[in-house]
Amino acid sequence: MAKARALDRRRKSVKNIRKITRTMELIATARFKKAMDRSVAARDYTKHLAKILENIASVGADVSHPLLESRPTQKTAVLVLTGNRGLCGGYNSNVVRQSVALLGQWKSEQVPTHVAVSGKRGISALKFRGANIAERYTQFEDKPEFAAVAPIGRAYLDAYSKGEIDRLDVVYTRFHSIAKQEAVTETLLPLAPPQASGAATSAKLASDEYSFYPSAGSILEEILPASFLSRLFKCFLDAAVSEQVARMVAMKAATENAGGLIKSLSRQYNRARQSQITGEIMEILGGVEALKK
Amino acid sequence: MADTKQSGAVRCVIVTPEQTSLDTQARSVTLPLFDGLRGVGHGHSPFIGRLGAGEVRIVGEQGGPADAVRSLFVEGGFVEVGHDSVTVITQRAVPAEKIDAAAARAELDKISSTRATGDDAIDAKLKAEDTARAFVRTATR
Repeated sequence: MAKARALDRRRKSVKNIRKITRTMELIATARFKKAMDRSVAARDYTKHLAKILENIASVGADVSHPLLESRPTQKTAVLVLTGNRGLCGGYNSNVVRQSVALLGQWKSEQVPTHVAVSGKRGISALKFRGANIAERYTQFEDKPEFAAVAPIGRAYLDAYSKGEIDRLDVVYTRFHSIAKQEAVTETLLPLAPPQASGAATSAKLASDEYSFYPSAGSILEEILPASFLSRLFKCFLDAAVSEQVARMVAMKAATENAGGLIKSLSRQYNRARQSQITGEIMEILGGVEALKK
Repeated sequence: MADTKQSGAVRCVIVTPEQTSLDTQARSVTLPLFDGLRGVGHGHSPFIGRLGAGEVRIVGEQGGPADAVRSLFVEGGFVEVGHDSVTVITQRAVPAEKIDAAAARAELDKISSTRATGDDAIDAKLKAEDTARAFVRTATR
C-alpha cells in the first residue's frame, strides 16, 4: 500500500501547485492587459514630441545641443531594469546576462561605471556577480508612474550636463509583441538626433508653417530633456509589460506541465493499486488452497 | 472627435507621458505660455510655443453651456496650435477641481521657507516657487 499512497500524496501536491500556477497565470494576464493599455496610452506623447522635433528640423533650425553631442566615454552609467519577483521564466536572467556582459566590457576598457539597478532580482543577481551597485530601486512594479521615473531621469540629465557621465545605457526587456520580447541595451544619452522627416510628412509640414515662441532653439532646449524622459519612461513601461508576458507564458507552461505530471502519476497510481489488489487476491487464494488440503 | 465641422470650434487635446488626458471641442482655449497667457480660437495661425506652469482654461466645451470653463493646471511643456486644433504636451496635467488647495498652499509655504544658496539653487527655488504659486492660483480661482 505504501507505494500507492505515496503516489497519491504526490499527485495531490502537484494538483495544488497547478492551482497556484493557474491563478498566477490569470493574474499575470490581467496585469499584462493593464500594463499594455498604459503602454499604448503613453505612445501619444512620444508621437507629438517627435512631430514637434520634426517641425523644428524641417525649418532648418540649427539642431545642436549638448545632449545630442557624443563625447569620448570616460565615465559611463548603466541602468538595469529587472523585476522584483521571479517565476517569470528567463525574464530576469536574460537582462542580468546582458548587463553582466556590458559591465564586463566597460571594466575591460577601464571606464568607471555608475550602476543603477531596478528590481530585487537584478539587485541580488548583480551583487552576487560582484557588481558595485550605486543606486537601487525596488518601488517599480507593474505600473511605473511617470512622476516616479522623472526624478531618476532628471538626475541622469544633471550628471550628463555636469560631465559626471558621458553616456547612459539602459538594459531592459523590449516588448515587440506578445510572442517576442528581447533583452536589449539601449543608449539613451547622448540622445539620438531627431530623425529626418519622411517625404509624406514633410510635404504636409511645408503647407503648415509654424512660428515658434520664443524660438526654435529655445523649444529644442526644452524638448530634448522631455524626449529623453519619455524614452526612459518607455523603457520602464516596456520592462513592466514584458515581465507580465514572461510570467504569463512561464505560468502557462507550468500549468500544462503539472497537468501532464498528474496524468502520469494517476496512471502509475492506478497500476500500483491494481497490482496490490491482484497480490492480495493471490494471497487469499493461496490461503484457501492451503486450507483445503 | 465626432463633429469637427462645428463652426468656430477648436479641438483641444492634452497629452501627458502617461496618457491623453483630455480630447474635446471647445470655443476657445487660454494657454499659459512661458511669458504670459495667450488665447486661441478657431483659425489661429499655427505656432509651436513653450509653456510655463499655469492654468489652461477651456471655454465653451461642446455639449455644455457656451460660457462653461474647464480648467487644468499644467507644469511646463509645449503647445502646438494648428488652424483648428490645440495640442498641449506637458509632463503633468491636473484638473483644477482635483487640486487640494490646502496641500498646495502648504507646499508653497514649504518651498518659500527653504533657504537657497548659490545661483543654481536660487534659480531652482524661484522656479519651484513660481510653479507652486501657479498651482495654488489654479486651485483657488
